[in-house]
Amino acid sequence: MSGASPPAAQLAPRALRHRRSARRLTQGQQEDFRQAISGAQAVGDDRGYQYWAGIHGLPLPISCVHHRELFLPWHRAYLYFFEKALQDRVAGVTLPWWDWTNHSEGVPGPYARRKANGRKNPLFDSPIQLSGRESPGQKRTTRAPGGPGRLPSVTAVEAVLENRDFFTFQTQLESIHDGVHVWVGGTMGSIATSAYDPLFWAHHTMIDRLWYLWQLRHPGAGVPASLLDRALAPFPMTVRDTLEVSQLGYDYAAATAAARGPGHG
Amino acid sequence: MVEKFTTEPIELPPADHAFERCDLIFYGLDHSGASFEARVFVDPRGVNRDAGSDHRAYVGSFFILGHGGCFGEVGHCDIPAACDPFDLRPAHQLEPAIRILTVTDPVRALLERDVKAAKVTVVAETEGRAANDVLAFETVRLATYA
Repeated sequence: MSGASPPAAQLAPRALRHRRSARRLTQGQQEDFRQAISGAQAVGDDRGYQYWAGIHGLPLPISCVHHRELFLPWHRAYLYFFEKALQDRVAGVTLPWWDWTNHSEGVPGPYARRKANGRKNPLFDSPIQLSGRESPGQKRTTRAPGGPGRLPSVTAVEAVLENRDFFTFQTQLESIHDGVHVWVGGTMGSIATSAYDPLFWAHHTMIDRLWYLWQLRHPGAGVPASLLDRALAPFPMTVRDTLEVSQLGYDYAAATAAARGPGHG
Repeated sequence: MVEKFTTEPIELPPADHAFERCDLIFYGLDHSGASFEARVFVDPRGVNRDAGSDHRAYVGSFFILGHGGCFGEVGHCDIPAACDPFDLRPAHQLEPAIRILTVTDPVRALLERDVKAAKVTVVAETEGRAANDVLAFETVRLATYA
């Protein structure tokens, strides 16, 4: 999927951070992101990776919203807070998105290699450390991906983006989303465990990006008013708070680079 | 829960009924178990279990990301029947799902063959085909939009 022109981003009063394609991360950006993930994985309290993965599924309660009307807003809030937790580890990192409509590879390179820079790659897999008595029967994440040709096509995604009605768009996008979970298989194939796989975040960032592209394409359409003040537990946000990604401090770009200006001194 | 289900014949729109889009809408889908792909076929006679995506009657697939079973104690995954208007808690996690499959071109092709009604067959397939008895839904509706 190609990116869209940046509308609100250029007008935003503060500098936005860009979420980038996982395939286009520079070596430095990849290293920063790996450090943020491994840093979060090393923290055992409610700032750490296990805590954030556990919000989605096990340990109970399972807080994620699937197959219901708040699927997209809830996951946008979830990504936002997880990204903030990563930025506490490495300032400025953002969540990459996995463009699974590009069938040149399946699992994107930064997530597919067991090792990176001679060290264990924290994007390849993750421990699953649950508190409480529920057991998913796994101690580390696993994957069993199919052939890249079975991932969703650009044509299929374009057809979904053409929907003007939010519920129809969201329902069809969620089916595509579910299909990618099924395609990855293993830990990703279950709501209870999927967020422990580091690839989960890249997949959901792609879903969030597609919602963003839909918002750009249909400026007159949107989330029904009856949903706007609904809470997105456990996050201190309502649906309304999730509608403008520029207000959440990020934007989507295929690739981006920047240089310092002269300043005002 | 089943791995394959074929509906009674559903009436297709009259041949003189112009439409821009046609959707199959599945209501009341269960998502408590394993994740699966549901291959959907529309055909006057239905299709057998082994029909694949290369079958002439194949109209598309939808997917369900499942919960993978119940991790609570007895009753944890029972959906409450009562609806209290003052209960502001979020809906139960297992409230059934909806899926919408756009089938405009396949339905037009059936109409060109002068087909008046067709059965909808859904075949579920889980990862590794380990346990395919995951399919349950309340209704499927064919809707056209002019």
